[in-house]
Amino acid sequence: MFREDDVVEEQVENGNGNEGGGGLGVREFCANGLSMKATLVEAKLDEGNIQEAESSLREGLSLNLEEARALLGRLEYQRCNYESALRVFDGIDLQSAIQRFQPSLSEKRSSKKGRSSTESVHTGSQHAASLVLEAIYLKAKSLQKLGRINEAAQECKTVLDAVERIFQYGIPDDVVDNKLQDTVSKAVELLPELWKQAGRHQEAMTAYRRALLSQWNLDNESSARIQKGFALFLLYNGVEAGPPSLSVQVEGSYVPKNNLEEAILLLMILLRKCCLGKANWDPSIIEHFTFALSLCGKTCILARQLEEVLPGTFHRCDRWNRLALSYSAAGQNTLALNLLRKSLNKHENPDDLIALLLFSKICSEDPLLAFEGVGYARRAIANAERKDGHLKGVGLRLLGICLGKQAKVASSDLERSYLQSEALKSLNEAMALERDNPDVIFELGVQYAEHRNSNAALRCVKQFIDVTGGSLLKGWKLLVLILSAQQRYSEAEVVTDAALDETSKWEQGPLLRLKAKLKISQSLPMDAVETYRFLLALVQAQRKSFGPHRSNILQVEDDKVSEFEVWLGLANLYSSLSYWRDAEICLEKARALKQYSPSTLHIEGITYQERERTREALVAYCESLMLDSTHAPSKVSIGALLWKSGSNSLPVARSFLSDALRLEPTSRSAWYYLGMVHRDDGRIADAADCFQAASMLEESDPIESFSSFL
Amino acid sequence: MSDSDVKAQSAFESLSIILGSIPLTVKSSESPASFLLNNSAIAKQITVHLKQPTSGAGDNDLCRWLYDTFQSSDPGLQLVVLRFLPIIGGLYLSRANLRKSLAGFEAILLAIYAHETTSRKGQPITVNVPDLSHPSLYHEVPITNTATELNLAIVSQSLEPHGTIRSTKRARIVGVALELYYSKIAVMPTSSKIDFCEFCIIWAGQDGDMFIENEDNGEKGNGAEVSSHDGNDAGASTSEDGVIQKKNDGKQTEEKEGRIPLPWELLQPVLRILSHCLLGPTKSKELQEVAQSASRSLYARALHDVDPQAILATSSLLKLGKMAMDPTPKPDPTEIRDFMNPVISL
Repeated sequence: MFREDDVVEEQVENGNGNEGGGGLGVREFCANGLSMKATLVEAKLDEGNIQEAESSLREGLSLNLEEARALLGRLEYQRCNYESALRVFDGIDLQSAIQRFQPSLSEKRSSKKGRSSTESVHTGSQHAASLVLEAIYLKAKSLQKLGRINEAAQECKTVLDAVERIFQYGIPDDVVDNKLQDTVSKAVELLPELWKQAGRHQEAMTAYRRALLSQWNLDNESSARIQKGFALFLLYNGVEAGPPSLSVQVEGSYVPKNNLEEAILLLMILLRKCCLGKANWDPSIIEHFTFALSLCGKTCILARQLEEVLPGTFHRCDRWNRLALSYSAAGQNTLALNLLRKSLNKHENPDDLIALLLFSKICSEDPLLAFEGVGYARRAIANAERKDGHLKGVGLRLLGICLGKQAKVASSDLERSYLQSEALKSLNEAMALERDNPDVIFELGVQYAEHRNSNAALRCVKQFIDVTGGSLLKGWKLLVLILSAQQRYSEAEVVTDAALDETSKWEQGPLLRLKAKLKISQSLPMDAVETYRFLLALVQAQRKSFGPHRSNILQVEDDKVSEFEVWLGLANLYSSLSYWRDAEICLEKARALKQYSPSTLHIEGITYQERERTREALVAYCESLMLDSTHAPSKVSIGALLWKSGSNSLPVARSFLSDALRLEPTSRSAWYYLGMVHRDDGRIADAADCFQAASMLEESDPIESFSSFL
Repeated sequence: MSDSDVKAQSAFESLSIILGSIPLTVKSSESPASFLLNNSAIAKQITVHLKQPTSGAGDNDLCRWLYDTFQSSDPGLQLVVLRFLPIIGGLYLSRANLRKSLAGFEAILLAIYAHETTSRKGQPITVNVPDLSHPSLYHEVPITNTATELNLAIVSQSLEPHGTIRSTKRARIVGVALELYYSKIAVMPTSSKIDFCEFCIIWAGQDGDMFIENEDNGEKGNGAEVSSHDGNDAGASTSEDGVIQKKNDGKQTEEKEGRIPLPWELLQPVLRILSHCLLGPTKSKELQEVAQSASRSLYARALHDVDPQAILATSSLLKLGKMAMDPTPKPDPTEIRDFMNPVISL
């Protein structure tokens, strides 16, 4: 079978279509144990004399009319004389022939006496039915080759309708002769193809579903082909198929309700077939599947499917990298990193640029991984050569971000400033290579801002907003923060309002939070309260309209303000105004949303401290540190409290404050209180240094940390 | 004449006033709306008008015509407007940072967005990804009572009404308009799809030519296409005239024009349309080649953004495109088994 297909191919390629199988020697007819050369018959057919050809065939092989015509049609079809084949087939009354089989067969089916005789008649009429069906099928094929697609489809449909009428209970496995099954399978496969060629989408859809849902007794290969054909048709044809009819829907089973669902289902079934060895591996299927699932953003399911693929199908590095991409797109970065570590191992494929870039990209999001990311980014830069040269800038950008992140956890000032300047250097280099990529400008702006070079940062962020046409919220936010760091609060507020104008209601949360903080900085606490109230209403409305269950399927979650944060902000504000009752209510609300939070405890401590309830304040701060030993604000508060409590505690206060500064080197209040501690201890020069740092930081303190962008 | 034909006729007449002259008249056999949709001469004229530097302004007659035509709520005429969506959306997003008035384009895009919002009732489009451990229409497994988690994916978020285009919503509004375009793509003329693919290349702002050398070298069509796209990047091709002209007028000449942020809400419908152009029922070699080139550019862009989801989608698209362009003929499984057998028997 396979070899014959190859030959057909060869023939098509050589373009000797008219010769048919001429190169294969003389054709001959075989029937009833007799055989005769086809040469004479061919000559008669070439003269257009079908009648004579027929009669000589009937005489030579003692055939009836239908048999003779069927053989002649096949001959003409094989000789690629399609017009002539059609004329030959026209001589058989196919419709009445079909009708003849119909009752006889079904009668035989219902009467179950005398099994042996039934079977012999059965086989006999099956033989005739097979002959007729093949004739109709060949008619359809001839019409297809002549480009008369619609007629071809009609004929092909006749075959299937007839089969359904003859075998009302599906085609039985054992009683059907091979040839009949062959014709049926081919017709089932051909019909949707024909409708597709004819551009009749709805008919094609119906034909596909009929092919897959009726009992045609197809073999695995052909049903896999049909499933693939249908899946691709659903994915790419651009016509919505609509849900399958109710008659085929079974209670409790999954029924796809749109094209994407149906295509994914079919592709999954195909992949499973490949894994079970029921179908040959077809590399395109996994690509279609990848495409479909990444469209839906469900790459975690893609990953699961990739895990199921049998070993030996992909190269292991290819597989690891695909898995890493899928997991990373699904937000499972730790898994992705582990896979990439394997594939980037020096014994595997250490120079794979995409893997290197992805690795450093993931590392660039976490200060604790940034160090590792730096190494991989450097490898990526070194490997970005020749045709991959265009990715050098990407490597440099990632290197810059990683270095900046690494600076956040640097153990000494020296190291930190070195890392920061290295970060700026590589981002500037990236900028030279990727000058049309606004992301580089943005990252550079963030780095400058972190470096307290607010003028350069301002230049960058303005350019970023310009280039992106203000379409990205992060640009607006960074601009507000930089202006606030320059103490230009009213300008910052103007920008916030402009940004609010450019955002839709649901995305205004982070901007409103900034606005409230700006109001506080401008000493307008009542305005700030008003803004917080507005923000609270928005956040609550958001929660109601999306519901608690919906939130986990919403994809854009990162930029949302949580209700908890709002209550905390309000509590902080009220306590600074000495509205203790209000502050306590807000804290209560915050606690109800998040029971154990260091921030809540810290603000609670502040409210105690302001009311001179030092002991309770200290307890709250300590509890906060127990929940999170790296909570710098609580350390600062403890340090300050201890400093106030007298000279005995000064060494302890100093250690708390230094610890806080290690965690958050730009904490203004930590520097201030450390200065006070030094002063009281009599270390005037140290105190002066600390005060200077505090005052410098005060002049460049943004209302929110820049690290939220890193 | 039916009501919709009357509408189409009047749209046709007002268009001919705007364009100056329409060389052809409607044949009686064809409905005026489908004539407008499929006539390449008219499409070319409208395209030239749209690509003029000031075409997006609020007082632009053609924009007003497109807006009115879409608002006529005649499905046939709406298709005519959608046919130009690739150019309108393409120019709009590429020009969004140039501080030009684009109110004309915005009005059309908002009208399309509002139409889609109404017809979807603001609801999101979701996909419930199947799980083979449950039986389905196409396969059987013993029913287990273990409830597996729902794999609900949101393909398109719910739609809120917008009266104006806020800058952070640009991508979303164009994205939704493209979703509507995709749902009608089967009736869109090839030239519209080619326009779309060309804008993909501009939007990606990334040259994908380095991915060509992996392709079948023996295929000459590809080689020709490569050089023509080199030409495009140099600004010689007619298809990019609008943008290139803008580049010359514009102040920021050193920057590559047209590259835009490609958030997923925009990239996703773009990729769906592109997949149709590349792997759909088209027979147009030109469309396939420009779609191939667009998928190369978008793949390069995905790599530059190091966006794993986009890398997965575009790389498979690129591979599938290469497979589809593979000239080796595949065996036809519907050919009869004995086609080459010289012995013809019953």
